[in-house]
Amino acid sequence: MEQATPERTPVFQAERVSKQFGSVVALADVDLDLYPGEIVGILGDNGAGKSTFVKIAAGVHQPSRGTIRFDGKPVRFRSAWDARRAGIEAVHQDLGLVDSMSIARNFFLGAELKRGPLLDLRRMRRETIRLLTEIGLGNLRDVGQDVSRLSGGERQAISIGRAVAFERKLLILDEPTSALSVQETEKVFEYIRMAKRNGLAVLVIMHNLVQVAAIADRFVVFWHGRKAGDFPNTGQSERELSEYILLGRPASGEPASFQHLPAAGGRAGDGTHR
Amino acid sequence: MADTRGGVHGAKSPAGQPAAEPGGVVGQQPPSPAPLAPGTAAGWVPRLAGIAAGAARQRESGIILAGIIIFIIFSITSGGQFDTASTWGTIVGSAAELGIVTVGVAMLMVGGDFDLSVGANFAFSALVMAIMTQHGYPVLAGLVVAAAIGAGIGLLNAFATLYFDIPSFVATLGTWLLWSGITLVVAGGATITVFSSSAVLRVLGGPLFGQFSFEGVWWLVIAIVIGVVLHRTVFGNWVFAVGGRRQAAYEAGVRVARTRTLNFVVCGLLAALAGAVTLGHLSSMAESYGTYYQLYAIAAAVVGGCALYGGRGSIFGAVIGSVILSMLDTGLILSGVSTYWYQAVVGIIVVLAVAMHTRVGRLIRGGGE
Repeated sequence: MEQATPERTPVFQAERVSKQFGSVVALADVDLDLYPGEIVGILGDNGAGKSTFVKIAAGVHQPSRGTIRFDGKPVRFRSAWDARRAGIEAVHQDLGLVDSMSIARNFFLGAELKRGPLLDLRRMRRETIRLLTEIGLGNLRDVGQDVSRLSGGERQAISIGRAVAFERKLLILDEPTSALSVQETEKVFEYIRMAKRNGLAVLVIMHNLVQVAAIADRFVVFWHGRKAGDFPNTGQSERELSEYILLGRPASGEPASFQHLPAAGGRAGDGTHR
Repeated sequence: MADTRGGVHGAKSPAGQPAAEPGGVVGQQPPSPAPLAPGTAAGWVPRLAGIAAGAARQRESGIILAGIIIFIIFSITSGGQFDTASTWGTIVGSAAELGIVTVGVAMLMVGGDFDLSVGANFAFSALVMAIMTQHGYPVLAGLVVAAAIGAGIGLLNAFATLYFDIPSFVATLGTWLLWSGITLVVAGGATITVFSSSAVLRVLGGPLFGQFSFEGVWWLVIAIVIGVVLHRTVFGNWVFAVGGRRQAAYEAGVRVARTRTLNFVVCGLLAALAGAVTLGHLSSMAESYGTYYQLYAIAAAVVGGCALYGGRGSIFGAVIGSVILSMLDTGLILSGVSTYWYQAVVGIIVVLAVAMHTRVGRLIRGGGE
């Protein structure tokens, strides 16, 4: 929260990123910087372009135009695997876990520990326990059990824990709390804050504005494929936020809440400069 | 490949977090009764109890019990002919022929795919080997060609499935008919007999001692190798992941297409090796020898605990499943029941086994590694 990194070098930069599917423009000229140790809530109606953007960041889609910089270097992810290798962990709605496999095998999936040609299952188990405990996710049970036995919150814990343990730099969470109880949501927020304390930039998509307002440091609003707003979370009301999402700008008469807005590319966010 | 960037050891930890105990368990829950839990009481009684509890949690425990029951029943009904070494030589031999196929089919099923062409593959590759031997080529050359054909058929299955992006069940339904058709074109319905005293043929399927043949040895070797591959290597981990949840596997960086392709190739290769071993045993081969092998292999895998929808199963279970099917075959004959009943009984056993695995699975889900 207050431990904003002094140098403020963005870990992830999108520069005029556009995406077209056939003749449909899903994303147009989006600029967005993400800094280590901040949680950015992406807001926008269905079809506003937020999940297209997130999928580009995660390597699932490739931008039609524009540049992505990661750690200052221009990158071109050809797959989700590329992005992950570079240090971007995306947790999609289905959580990316394999139900029929153990916690430890899930934790190291795609990055298995080996001993000679064989899996080092013992070390994988031990390391999973150590890492999950070390990063504050110590409320899990036997790591040899199948993931199918875990609750929604525990699954989030593993996914987020994996991002922290493997020192990813950007964590993307797509509706991390949509299927969770209030209590579990609170726990998952703890895990997200833990990721932030560990210096990760966190990008969250949540439909529930009350929830996203409780966790985000900054909001980015997408509207009709453009970035329509980019402002710190200063306690705007749910109504203010939802009007912004609908209109692509603050509703007239209430721009005061959004005055911290750094010019949103001068394109769609003009209403905020008054 | 697997790139951890050293992060595993360098995880940044916030101060004040307790270090993990080495116990195998995190948090409040009591330790699991898995045999791995160290430090739980000294002395062998609780340790044995732990091992027994761990074993009971395994998916295969029920089917082993069922196998023992079947064994006891046949021992009684056969009037003492069933539990003899020579009978078991026969059982292991025929279990091996099916079992080598089943090992590949089981691993493929764990990965979420099917291969209905293994029976045709088995007959075609072994027939080519038999014909080559007939024409005076060295048996070893025939074996290499047969293996290449088997692997090639597997590769073709992978191509048909992945390139056209269709269910492997359908793709291999097509290749099954394709290869059994080609086999009929090449050999007709004839049985091709090999007259050769080649040591290679003998080591493939010839007698070992008593009624035991080399077939069982190859089966054991293959089952151990594939078992290690499936349960203890990165590839095997990826097979489980691909079969368990393909999308999640892909997102985790698993090379899904590569994993599935290799799995098809291994399955095809093993079908051909089963054919070669059988040729070594019988010195003859015909198109009809492989008929229904694909279905019996799936049945054996399912009886041994492989999930039809992928993600679960073991080579050990596949081996047990093959033994059970083979026991039924021989046991029915020795009990004076017509072999025609074999299919019917296998059908019942398959349904009961799946019902049992499903129930036991629900009870013990989480049974771990």
